[in-house]
Amino acid sequence: MAHAKPLATTRSATGIPTGRLAVWWVLASEVVIFGGLLGSYVMHRIGHPEWAAAAAHTQTWVGALNTFVLLTSSFTAVLGHQAAERGDGKAAAKFLGFTILGALTFLVVKGFEWANEITHGYTITANTFWSFYYTAAGLHALHVIAGAIIMGFVAVDAFRGRELHRVELIGIYWHFVDVVWIFLFPLLYIAK
Amino acid sequence: MSENNTEHHGDGHEGGHHVNYFAIYVALVVLFLISVAGPEVGERTGLRWITLITAFGIAVVKANLVINNFMHLRWEKRLMKWMLATSVILMLLMVAGISPDVLNHEGRNWENVAAMEATARGLGEDDHGEGEEVVVADAGEAEPAGFNAAASFGTICATCHGTGGRGDGPAGAALDPAPADFTEAVFWEDRDRERILTVIRDGGAAVGGSPLMAPWAALYTAEQLEEMADYVMSFRPE
Repeated sequence: MAHAKPLATTRSATGIPTGRLAVWWVLASEVVIFGGLLGSYVMHRIGHPEWAAAAAHTQTWVGALNTFVLLTSSFTAVLGHQAAERGDGKAAAKFLGFTILGALTFLVVKGFEWANEITHGYTITANTFWSFYYTAAGLHALHVIAGAIIMGFVAVDAFRGRELHRVELIGIYWHFVDVVWIFLFPLLYIAK
Repeated sequence: MSENNTEHHGDGHEGGHHVNYFAIYVALVVLFLISVAGPEVGERTGLRWITLITAFGIAVVKANLVINNFMHLRWEKRLMKWMLATSVILMLLMVAGISPDVLNHEGRNWENVAAMEATARGLGEDDHGEGEEVVVADAGEAEPAGFNAAASFGTICATCHGTGGRGDGPAGAALDPAPADFTEAVFWEDRDRERILTVIRDGGAAVGGSPLMAPWAALYTAEQLEEMADYVMSFRPE
C-alpha cells in the first residue's frame, strides 16, 4: 500500500477528492435503500390504522437515549475531522475513539431494547409493523457496526499520522448514519 | 437556522470550515428535546398535529443541520449536490409511484383483501370484542396518523421547497429553475389558489412551469389536495 497508490486516488477529473466523491456516491445509493424502506413504512402505516396499537409498545425513552448518543457521536466525529485538518492525528484518533464508544453504547442499548421486546413476544414475525421495525432498525444497526469497524482502522492510522483525510470520509458516512436515525426516531418512537 | 453560522465561500473545501460545531450540537440537542416533548404537549392539548410537526418537522431541520454543517454539503461542488438530488428524486418517484397501491386497499379493478382483513382484524382486537364485525370503512375514523397537510408538506414538499416554504430544501439546492419561494410577494403576483392546486395535482409542466415540480395526484385524495393547496397558500405574505 505504501509503494504505489492506485491511480484513482491521485487524480480527480471532477475536482473533488476521489475518496470523498466515493463516500458521497455510496451515500447517494444509501438514500434509495433507506428512503425506499422508510417510504414503504410510511405508506403502510398510513394505510393500516391498526399499526398504532403495535407502535404504542415501542419504548420512547430508549429511542430518545439512542438518539442523544448518536447525535453526540456525530459531534465527536466532526471534532475528529477538525483535528485531522489541523494535522493532529492523535487528537483525531481520540475523537474517533469517542465516536466508536458512542456506536458501542448505541448497540448495547439496542441489544437490551430488542431483548426486552422479543421476550415480550414482539418478534419480527409478530405482525408487519414489527417486521418493519426490526428491518429498518436492524439495517441501520448494521451500518452502525460497519461504521464502527472502519472507524477503528481509520483511528489507528490517524494515531500514527497516516491517511488523515480518511477521518473526514468516515465522518461523512457516520453523519449519514446519524441522519437516518434522526428520521427513524420519530417514525418508530414518536409518532404513535 | 443553518445559514448564518459561517462565512465561507467557494467550493475548494480545503482549509477548514469556520463552523461553530458546538453551537450546532447544542441546537441539535435542543431540537431533539423538543421532539421528545412534542407528544406530551400534543396529548395535553389534544392537538395531534403538534406531535407530527415536532416529530417530522424537527427531523428535517436536524437532518439539514447535520448535512450542511457536519457533512459540509453546502461547500461541496454542484456536481455532488446534483448527484444526491438525483438519488433523492428517484427515490421519491419510486415511493410516489407505488403509493396508490400501498395507501389504498382497493381500486377500480382490484382489492387487497389481505390488507383489508389485516386492518379489520387489527382494529377488532384492540377496540372491539368481535373482530369480524368491524368493517373497513370504520378505519378512517380510528386512523392514528390522520392526514395533516403541514406534516405532509414537511415530509414531501419540504425536500425541495424547504420547511418554511422558501424554496431552500436540501434536494432543491441543485434544481434549475430553483424551487418556488412561497414567501415572496413576487411569486404570488400571477398565481392564485386554483393554479397552486393544479400544480400540486398535475405538476409544474401542466401550467407551463418547471417539469421538476412533480405531479402528486397519486399521493393525495381530492380533499387532501385541497388541504395541501390551503397549506401552501398559508405561506403567502399579506
